[in-house]
Amino acid sequence: MIVPLIQVKDLHHTYLRGTPMETVSLRGVDLVIERGEIVGLIGPTGSGKSTLLQHLNGLLRRQQGEVWVEGQSLGDPRTDLRRVRQRVGLLFQNPEDQLFERYAGDDVAFGPRNLGLDRNEVRDRVRRAMEAVGLDSIAFKDRLTVTLSHGERRRLALAGVLALEPDVLALDEPTAGLDPQGREELLDYLMRWRTERGGAIVLASHTMEDLARLADRAYVLVAGRIVLEGTPRQLFSQGEELARLGLGVPVATAVMWELRERGLPVRADCLTLEEATAGIRALFHA
Amino acid sequence: MPEFELLRNITIGQYLPTGSVVHQLDPRVKLIVGAVLMAAVMATSSLTGVALAFIAMLAALCLARIPLRHALRGLRSAWAFFLMVAVLQLLLFPHHRAVAQGSAALCQWGPLLVSTASLRLLILLLTRLASLILLVSLLTFCTTITELAHGTEHLLSPLQRVGLPAHELALVLTLALRFLPLLAREMERIMKAQAARGADFGAHSWNFLQRTRRMFPLLIPLFLISLRRAEELIEAMEARCYMGGRGRTHLIQLRAQRADFVALGSVVIFAAFLLATNFW
Repeated sequence: MIVPLIQVKDLHHTYLRGTPMETVSLRGVDLVIERGEIVGLIGPTGSGKSTLLQHLNGLLRRQQGEVWVEGQSLGDPRTDLRRVRQRVGLLFQNPEDQLFERYAGDDVAFGPRNLGLDRNEVRDRVRRAMEAVGLDSIAFKDRLTVTLSHGERRRLALAGVLALEPDVLALDEPTAGLDPQGREELLDYLMRWRTERGGAIVLASHTMEDLARLADRAYVLVAGRIVLEGTPRQLFSQGEELARLGLGVPVATAVMWELRERGLPVRADCLTLEEATAGIRALFHA
Repeated sequence: MPEFELLRNITIGQYLPTGSVVHQLDPRVKLIVGAVLMAAVMATSSLTGVALAFIAMLAALCLARIPLRHALRGLRSAWAFFLMVAVLQLLLFPHHRAVAQGSAALCQWGPLLVSTASLRLLILLLTRLASLILLVSLLTFCTTITELAHGTEHLLSPLQRVGLPAHELALVLTLALRFLPLLAREMERIMKAQAARGADFGAHSWNFLQRTRRMFPLLIPLFLISLRRAEELIEAMEARCYMGGRGRTHLIQLRAQRADFVALGSVVIFAAFLLATNFW
């Protein structure tokens, strides 16, 4: 039997448990991530997306329920968590705030150095990781991190995680706060990383456009529970349900619905601008 | 095992809205009462006195409906400090004089000699310290930061005539307290991000150099984030025409109620009683 890459079963989590400030974050989450898959996690703020992500690499210990990475239980005391954290690379929200080295190259090298790799291997990995996010390693590795632009810093932080050469990337709102061009580029790098390395990506986001473009499958998380699951096309065709949960649909989908409501025969399950454009063009040709 | 919930151990500076009688006291009264109690706890030097003070703190916490386990957690995280105080006291205690005055040696552990006199002093000191920590936690459990600042400002305002910037001082106090949990949360996030990239915070290494080196990558982003936060805060305040204290009025006017006078009276009597135990 082939075990899934990541499996989560009936996961519960409560912050500050046992204190008067305790808050329940997850209330029984089940989820499966297969190799090479891009899985979206959709949910309003405070729904537990970040908490769930932090369980995938063992940063947060399971309190109840179980998490397996490649069949290895993270609750098992024999599991080497540092190894798990190398395999599941986690990028936090606003990661550009967390750069701490003076030089860009050193920041990317933080992970590989912690792995205890030799100098040549570290240098190779830094170069590959920086190139994977479109930062020319020769030009950038000796730049001061504080002089980089916002988008460059974000990409540098992503390179820092890629340099661990993980099998899974867990990303928390990776495009939040980026300008449209920076967002496009970042999504492109992620897509390319997936094709080249065959790795899986877990993407927590409330930007529906990102998920529509990238995700093969998505889970909708509300108040610590998975309430919906399916391909973006399946999910976004349930617009009323999503609206009820306080979530939207991609702009393209919304426009097409509006057109349908006004009696035009267009598809209701368009996800991207390209699809919507094609749909409207077809209307004129017909 | 890495434990990233830093906020769990910071009990000072957390407001717990249980809506008890203690919460509803006038913040000025709370501050005065706190200061009086603090002075009394410091000044009492009998075992009965410190024991009573400690029990009184526990009783006050109960009255404020603060779960005792939570309040005591704050003491637990100060254990290193307690230990340091204890060791220093034992090292510096004038044993020769004490022994000459009839104090018996109880046990010796390297250079640490425990005699009846030093043991008494130790119990006194540690109970006093614990009471003080509980007192400060109680004050912050029951008083929002705004109330605290408001109260401080009121109490300091008579000194304005001699040029003390009461309002500004209160503001500084508010901001410092407000930023404490924020910084803890930020620190938690940075630690996690670095642990995700293989930094090993979990392992308890006693290698001091190594541990210090590991702190640098944490402190640098923390400083940068704090500086930026402070700058944003200044801009936000100036954007709302903040000009400092001159001519500023308050939305909430403080007015002492009967309960406030009762609290004040009983605490003053209790403090006097604590002092009286010195002379028994």
